[in-house]
Amino acid sequence: MALVLDSISLRRNNSWIVRNVTLRFDRGKAYAILGNNGVGKTTIVNMIMGLEGYREHEGRIFLDGEDITALPVHQRARKGITLLWQEPARFQGLRVIEYLTLGGKLAVNPRILEDVLKAVGLNASYLEREIDESLSGGERKRIELASVLLLKPRYAMLDEPDSGIDLMSTEMIRDVFHRLKAAGSTVIAVTHREEIALLTDKAFLVCSGMVIKEGLPMEVCEYYKTLCDWCDHVNKPEEARMG
Amino acid sequence: MNISPDYSREFQRIVEIYEKAGGNATDLLKGDVASIIVSGQKVLGLNNVRGVSMESFSKDDVVIVKINVGDRVHIPSPTHLCVGALDKVGEQRIRFEIEVGEESEISFLSHCSFPFADDFAHIMEAVFHLRKGAKVFYEDHHFHSDSGGTKVRTSYSVILDTKSHFENRFYLTRTRVGRLELDMESHNNGEGSVVHLETKVYERADDRVEVREKLYLNAPESSGILKTAIFATDSSYANVVNEAYGNAPHVRGHVECREIVKGDEVQVGTIPVLRMRYDTSELTHEASIGRVNAKQLQTLMAKGLTEDEATELIVKGMLR
Repeated sequence: MALVLDSISLRRNNSWIVRNVTLRFDRGKAYAILGNNGVGKTTIVNMIMGLEGYREHEGRIFLDGEDITALPVHQRARKGITLLWQEPARFQGLRVIEYLTLGGKLAVNPRILEDVLKAVGLNASYLEREIDESLSGGERKRIELASVLLLKPRYAMLDEPDSGIDLMSTEMIRDVFHRLKAAGSTVIAVTHREEIALLTDKAFLVCSGMVIKEGLPMEVCEYYKTLCDWCDHVNKPEEARMG
Repeated sequence: MNISPDYSREFQRIVEIYEKAGGNATDLLKGDVASIIVSGQKVLGLNNVRGVSMESFSKDDVVIVKINVGDRVHIPSPTHLCVGALDKVGEQRIRFEIEVGEESEISFLSHCSFPFADDFAHIMEAVFHLRKGAKVFYEDHHFHSDSGGTKVRTSYSVILDTKSHFENRFYLTRTRVGRLELDMESHNNGEGSVVHLETKVYERADDRVEVREKLYLNAPESSGILKTAIFATDSSYANVVNEAYGNAPHVRGHVECREIVKGDEVQVGTIPVLRMRYDTSELTHEASIGRVNAKQLQTLMAKGLTEDEATELIVKGMLR
């Protein structure tokens, strides 16, 4: 049981954004897609989710053996994939409770709602708040994390799960990972932070739209720290690899 | 509330419809809540409370309702205005004349229901005069028939004295519209007076909506906000004209129109008009026409909602 990317590539304006990426995410494990800003990490998860502008790609995507390359976003979601956005959207007039329960389509026990909010550091009073400018980016991110916990997806892709949330919250992110894994979810975290990558079982290092290294998070993080952090050859992985 | 025996059956039906439309019939019938029930051209019931004087009469086929609130009166519960008709065909003409005394505060909750209209016209005119320091909140919910045969022509005209405050919210979101012509105008004649007019409409099939809002900031330091949000689907039509006139120094005005469209056959437009005479004043406008925000849509679709389901949820929030 796995989510498999088979040689996926995406080109825009004659430039490769993602080049020939082949990855495998096994069920129940946690993975990090690590790399500097602008190297194609978010593009990879957007392609997996099938978002508008990311579906016209080369290669194929398989979910537990089924080719989902042609499926629209909501059908991929119904098969168990979801995405936490780096910057969650605002929804004027929509209350948190409506958002979490998808307008009542998701039947949830109120205690569970309170529990997932508590897990992300929010209390039950947030259920009646509107998801508009009155909530900070960090609060909206926490609500997104609560939403992912509630959905219990088979594959949870978390794009920079800690961005907008204070550094002290690594513990909270760790707890979210544990909860998702305990529920049988695969966690795919997009990040440029070592602390987040180290919470996973395996890391992939991305540069210039390619996976240039994969392995144990500690090894990949070490490589990233020594070669990528200070590298002025961003988007030139061959040179970075040569050191 | 005293009900004429001749109207008791109609009263019962209109109250049932009022409840279906979201109104609270218990509140409507409470002795300590001011209320009026108008069905077609008939006033079925009327209840006054201390501080509020309501009277009604007919003149030239128009039901005229005069509401007077004395000085320094604070009415804690909303005054309920239940207006509607059970007929399929016909016309209803109503004029509300509402005068609110100095430093008084009152809110109105109005429900207008035309559930069976095939070809029914509702023509309503509301004239408000707020004395110095008065505060009024007016909320108007409309419920029309599925046939699209309801024709509504509604106008609100507000005169604001010094430091008075008026807020109006008009909602036609839960049923088809039919035809709607909505005129709102505020004359901020008193220094420091404030007005906030908001309109929210959901159009389906071949509904047609015309909204004209005018804000006259005639006194120094007066201010106003005009906001319209329309969700237009199918082959519906909407035209919104927001006008703001800064006729005094140190005034502030903002007009905003947001039209969300779905489908290739809708026709929507908006025209903001701003005129100003003093460099100490400021008038702004904000307008947008387009489909539902793609990021909002895809966020919800990534949780398993179809595009239509996601759109409904986003619009539900927007039109609340």
